[in-house]
Amino acid sequence: MTQNSMDLPNESLERVSEVLSVRNATHQFGSLVAVDDVSISAKRGEFLTLLGESGSGKTTLLRLIAGLERPTKIAGIAIEGQDVSIVPASRRNCTTVFQHYALFPHMSVGQNIEYGLRVRGVSIAERKRRAQEALELVRLPDKYDRRVHQLSGGERQRISLARALVTQPAILLLDEPLGALDEKLRVDMQVELLDLHKKLGITFIYVTHSQEEALTMSDRIILMRKGTIVQEGPPTELFDRPVNRFVADFMGVENLLVGTLDRVSGDYASVNVGDFKITGLWSGSGSKTSGTEVCVAVRAERIRLSNTMDVANKGGINCLPCQSGQTIYKGKYVDRTLDTKIGPIKARIWDRDADIPDLASLWWREDECAITLLGSVE
Amino acid sequence: MNSAPDTIGKFRLPFWQRIGESTPRRISTFLGYGVLFILYFPIVMLMILSFSGQPLTGIPGEWTITWYEDVILADIAKRDGEAYGSNFRVGDPLLLSVMLAFITGAACVIAVLIVGPVLPRIKWRGPFLLGFLMPLMIPGIVGGVGLFMWYRLVIHVKMGIWSLVVAHFVWAFPFALLAMLVVASRFDTRLMEAAEDLGARAWQRFWHIEIPILKPGIYAAGFFGFLLSFNELPFSIFMRSGQDTLPLYLWIQSGAHNTTVPLIYAMSTIVTIGSILLTFLAIKLAFGGGQHDAK
Repeated sequence: MTQNSMDLPNESLERVSEVLSVRNATHQFGSLVAVDDVSISAKRGEFLTLLGESGSGKTTLLRLIAGLERPTKIAGIAIEGQDVSIVPASRRNCTTVFQHYALFPHMSVGQNIEYGLRVRGVSIAERKRRAQEALELVRLPDKYDRRVHQLSGGERQRISLARALVTQPAILLLDEPLGALDEKLRVDMQVELLDLHKKLGITFIYVTHSQEEALTMSDRIILMRKGTIVQEGPPTELFDRPVNRFVADFMGVENLLVGTLDRVSGDYASVNVGDFKITGLWSGSGSKTSGTEVCVAVRAERIRLSNTMDVANKGGINCLPCQSGQTIYKGKYVDRTLDTKIGPIKARIWDRDADIPDLASLWWREDECAITLLGSVE
Repeated sequence: MNSAPDTIGKFRLPFWQRIGESTPRRISTFLGYGVLFILYFPIVMLMILSFSGQPLTGIPGEWTITWYEDVILADIAKRDGEAYGSNFRVGDPLLLSVMLAFITGAACVIAVLIVGPVLPRIKWRGPFLLGFLMPLMIPGIVGGVGLFMWYRLVIHVKMGIWSLVVAHFVWAFPFALLAMLVVASRFDTRLMEAAEDLGARAWQRFWHIEIPILKPGIYAAGFFGFLLSFNELPFSIFMRSGQDTLPLYLWIQSGAHNTTVPLIYAMSTIVTIGSILLTFLAIKLAFGGGQHDAK
């Protein structure tokens, strides 16, 4: 039995390192453009995350890859080097883990997991053996005969994972798989998914709206907004070098100051914010002319406090005089809002001893802040 | 003042519970049994009388199975071309009714399989649903006359078994559709996507996912189609040609000959018990699997 008509012989699989390529995909729902001329690719064994808020088009893009949605316009989509533009979902070598599990209620756990093998005509004995293997993989070895409704949410998600993995697809698509789970379980499952990814070497394409999940798990993140890609790169790049204010905001940067660009030299840029000059790593692309409005992005945990203004004389740092404002106790850390002449700035103090009651200034290192484009303000 | 919260609490109860709590137990008991009595006494009486020697007196007694023998023997005699005491010949009407019921049941299953899964998901489902269910609100006699006028006087076709099938289908389809919609409206179409994603072709999705999940609705539709057709009278009056259905035959006989009334009792008893057995069978088929699944 051929497992899938699109499978290439093994030796040529090895040569194709690009396991997925989507070129210029556009998808419309009526007049709404959900995916707008997007191109992405993924390498074999990569953990790629499509990140974005709801309505950004990330799930639609995933469904285009799965074949569950036919793109309005596309230049090409290839899985393992084979064009699958006109191949239906049932014959694409990728499977999906759905947020809502989508387990078949009239089948047992075992029958659910075996379903992909059953429709491929795999023998009953072989099916059972591989289902049992998959169950062990998701650490639920004794649930084979259970009914779906007897399982908890976390168990259902693992069964759905096992069902998707049992056919050994080239790509595993995960559509916010942890969205319906509670906090604690979600963190455990993140680790488990990472382990599975490492163990199996399958390409994972993971859709989420949680930047924390994306940062924890991904080799590479594609941040989407309104159907287009805003930024794409490894987690550290999105985290430390956001290309515009939207990315910085989405990645959870607490302090976003608007100023006018003074100049860009090398990796660094300097900006006038009020009466102050702030220097940071230049993260924007495109327009670099002096006088354009740009954004300074500094994370609260990078802000240090001081009881003098002396630090201003040291090189490589930005320093602002400030007054103490509101303090919010958060358990593990303390969030302090500090009033400066250019507006309030948030500082996160992890170490109680580092908190200074009679503070005079705050400062942060130039290489720990990003200067970036404003982007479209909406 | 202690009673205040209780009073408020009581008003939050649904009205039937409030009525239930404020009605003396004896009255509720009496009403409950009263309704059951009205429902079942005539039928039980009819069954008892069908075993009585003098059923037309309304008083049970002189136990006998002679009426049952008559029903069966009269038909055997007819088949063999012999004369028999009464002219009550129920064989052909029974055969016709069973055949019609099977055809109607099958037609209902096919029709609700086509319409049922789609209807909850289309844009103009309200008007469509209303259109499909309207026959429920049209009296059978009116519907029968309407169909009769249309076929005989407007398009000039002869009545036959086909016209009975059409009429029975028109009558039973709305009920069958309602039964299907209860199941179909809860059907999660995302399961079909999941199956497709796992590699199932269209026919596999249909047989492995759609049919098993819609199974209770399918059985219910077939069952409604069967029983409603089997018991149908008003449409049949107008749509028959030559042959009588069982209810029609019993109705004609009960109006015409006093001597055959005991045979009608016997026949009605047979039909009632047959219907009840069929109902149990249908319920077991439709939901038995589910209960087994839940174990």
